[in-house]
Amino acid sequence: MRIKWVEQLFDKIEPTFSEGGKLGWLHSTFDAFHTFALTPKTITRSGSHIRDAVDSKRSIIVVIIALLPALLFGMWNIGYQTAMSTGAGADWHWIYMWWFGFLRMLPMIAVSYIVGLAIEFAFAQYRGHEVNEGFLATGLLIPMIVPVTTPLWQLALAVAFAVIIGKEVFGGSGMNFLNPALVARAFLFFAYPTHMSGDKVWIASTWWGNDAIAGATPMGELATGSAPSASALDMLIGTIPGSTCETSFIAIALGAMLLLFTGIASWRIMLGVFLGGGLMGLLFNAIGGNAYMELPFYYHFLMGGFAFGAVFMATDPVTAAQTNAGKWIYGLLIGVFAVLLRVCNPAYPEGMMLSILFMNCMAPLIDHCIVARNIKMRERRIGK
Amino acid sequence: MIHNIKVKKGLNIPLGGSAERLVVDMRGTERYAVKPPDVVGFIPRLAVAEGDSVAAGQPLVTDKNLPQLFLPSPVDGVVEAIVRGEKRRLTEVVVRKNRNIQNHPNNQNSQNGQRVLSAEVPVWWMIKERPFGTIAHPGHRPKGIFVSLRDTNPLAPDLDFALKGREHEFDAGCQALETLAPLHLVHAEGPHPAGNIGTQIAQISPINKGECVWTVGAQDVANIGRWMLSGVYSPERVIAVGGPAAKAPKYYRVTCGVDISRIADVQTLSPSYPCLGWQASAADTRIVSGSPLSGTQVAADGFLGMYDQQLCFIPEGDQHEFMGWLMPGLTKFSFSKTFLSGFLVKLSQLVKLDKLSIPYTFNTNLHGGRRPLMFTGGFERVFPLDIYPMQLIKACIVGDIELQEQLGIYEVEPEDFALCEFIDPSKTDIQTIIREALEVLRKEATA
Repeated sequence: MRIKWVEQLFDKIEPTFSEGGKLGWLHSTFDAFHTFALTPKTITRSGSHIRDAVDSKRSIIVVIIALLPALLFGMWNIGYQTAMSTGAGADWHWIYMWWFGFLRMLPMIAVSYIVGLAIEFAFAQYRGHEVNEGFLATGLLIPMIVPVTTPLWQLALAVAFAVIIGKEVFGGSGMNFLNPALVARAFLFFAYPTHMSGDKVWIASTWWGNDAIAGATPMGELATGSAPSASALDMLIGTIPGSTCETSFIAIALGAMLLLFTGIASWRIMLGVFLGGGLMGLLFNAIGGNAYMELPFYYHFLMGGFAFGAVFMATDPVTAAQTNAGKWIYGLLIGVFAVLLRVCNPAYPEGMMLSILFMNCMAPLIDHCIVARNIKMRERRIGK
Repeated sequence: MIHNIKVKKGLNIPLGGSAERLVVDMRGTERYAVKPPDVVGFIPRLAVAEGDSVAAGQPLVTDKNLPQLFLPSPVDGVVEAIVRGEKRRLTEVVVRKNRNIQNHPNNQNSQNGQRVLSAEVPVWWMIKERPFGTIAHPGHRPKGIFVSLRDTNPLAPDLDFALKGREHEFDAGCQALETLAPLHLVHAEGPHPAGNIGTQIAQISPINKGECVWTVGAQDVANIGRWMLSGVYSPERVIAVGGPAAKAPKYYRVTCGVDISRIADVQTLSPSYPCLGWQASAADTRIVSGSPLSGTQVAADGFLGMYDQQLCFIPEGDQHEFMGWLMPGLTKFSFSKTFLSGFLVKLSQLVKLDKLSIPYTFNTNLHGGRRPLMFTGGFERVFPLDIYPMQLIKACIVGDIELQEQLGIYEVEPEDFALCEFIDPSKTDIQTIIREALEVLRKEATA
């Protein structure tokens, strides 16, 4: 579809932003908006004269669409949790619950995008690159994986840290080796631990009653040695306290279906994470000993950030293993370490974040070993 | 030896405009050209001047490094033009056919009246060598000669159809080639790139460092056979002419190096041709000599490429689209299922409906901005060789020759990466990267 007046508008202001123009130094910024509104008219020159319609913008937009079920459910759950723990449960209409959560999430999303995109634009401008759309997904992911009570200034710091240290110092999107959204989460976790764990951070208080509301996540309860009070069904649906948008297995599964169907995410990694986590859970079941070890293995899938991490974080192609065999190993080990950390390390109630970050670091090594086999095969062939 | 191989990985691109099984004879065309840039590693030295009379098979240019290699005139005639491009690089030697000049059967290269296939004969340039894709080096001992009996490129000619009536010439060509090295005729089943010779060699006998194989196009085997039988150099091919912007796709019987202007005149669509919602003019059609995945753009008054057996007419895509990345994309084709078209096709497969046929629109638009190689897993699904494509591409980008060798650079040619380049969401010019890496290796090997 072509819209003439938009094209004419951009054609008219383009000289101002081109080299030699008054605002020539803003070229990358102009480019970002131009390519956002109008797909570029660049044509092929050689090689494959026809090209696949997919590009990185399209891939990112699919990820964002896949995040929507979890995001929308998360908004509702924020309101639901507040309503339930303030005793207002019956009085709040579900739309009101959603609206409450929406108003809670909106500033977080806005802060994340504004801070992150400002840095992205500045770096692109400085380097003379095109602005990479990767942050459109990262910027949405970050507010979805933090507690709802995270102060906005902390969020802003975390986003800045993630974008600069997690990504731009390595050369920008595609060059980083750690998942930027998890870098932000890890930054918050280690810099402001009191705001990231405990019983008082998971439920938003109302504007009219400013006291923090207590509400433990299932994993918080397990870490103290008691069985989780929420049922498996609650966890499946997601009506439990937790980080803003990570609680609903079903909403995440909807996103996962889209990612797998479109081929954007690797099914090997996703399946690998669940297999690894399940195997480790079964192993602990066989050993037994405490409530956490005896927990049915599938609870691990439902609690905390396991599913969210497996679907949206582990599958980030830039930071995951790149070979097919490597993806299996990478996924399996993420699952194994996540459950291992949960059950055996009392300092970290949630193991998913650290497990994925650790495997991000290991991914190049895994690939190296897989590729080495191919190299060996070739050497043997010469030998014979 | 005849091989039947099966390939699973790959992709058939549903590019519209495949040729109707109808052959138009265009052997009467007046002008022909040899194009040295089409021949990898060939450094041309002119053997004729403008206005010279030449017989078919007589050298027009010879190779500076290996003077016995030459590119012959495809017809009897007069050298009409010597065309140079950038930096005075010789791009074309144009010959106008003249019937007064006679092509005498060439018995120079015969032993006891029997013709011998060697570098001195006019059909030698049809034999290519891998690695690097140069003309076969007469001093090399190839471990085999490979001929693909199927071309799986989009809109490529059906070789059985193209060779109909030339079976005896094909057989004679095979016999001649067998005198040089073991001959492998390969029939491949499966999606593109099953028909690519690189795919087939990789399955049958992958090329190791220090080895080489020779390859010949199936139609050129028949051309070699014709020369062996009669001593007359009359190289012809049946080419498939098609593509989304071709008016009446069909086959043409031509002599190698043919001037395509008559075909272009007939095939180019009238100016008001609707394509992707906008009006394209005749100038907005790109003509590609060779596969749309790896061929060369030629002008409407240009010539068929040296080794090509198809012409593809594709609408130019130098148009903006409003928020194209957000649109449902009902007629866009993508290997990923990120557009509605792919969703519907997959859905129709899932519910076992008849295969949904979508009128995909193709043009030469890049469909996006260039990015770092950040998406993984796609290349492996369309790349059937036992090679890690992403890792090899990266080794080529950084210029790590040792790593390239370890990862199997000698087994590939740029065309083997054509599908990777097609599906790449980062819009990297992968074939150029591979070609440049191979050129560095080739220059080192010959230095």
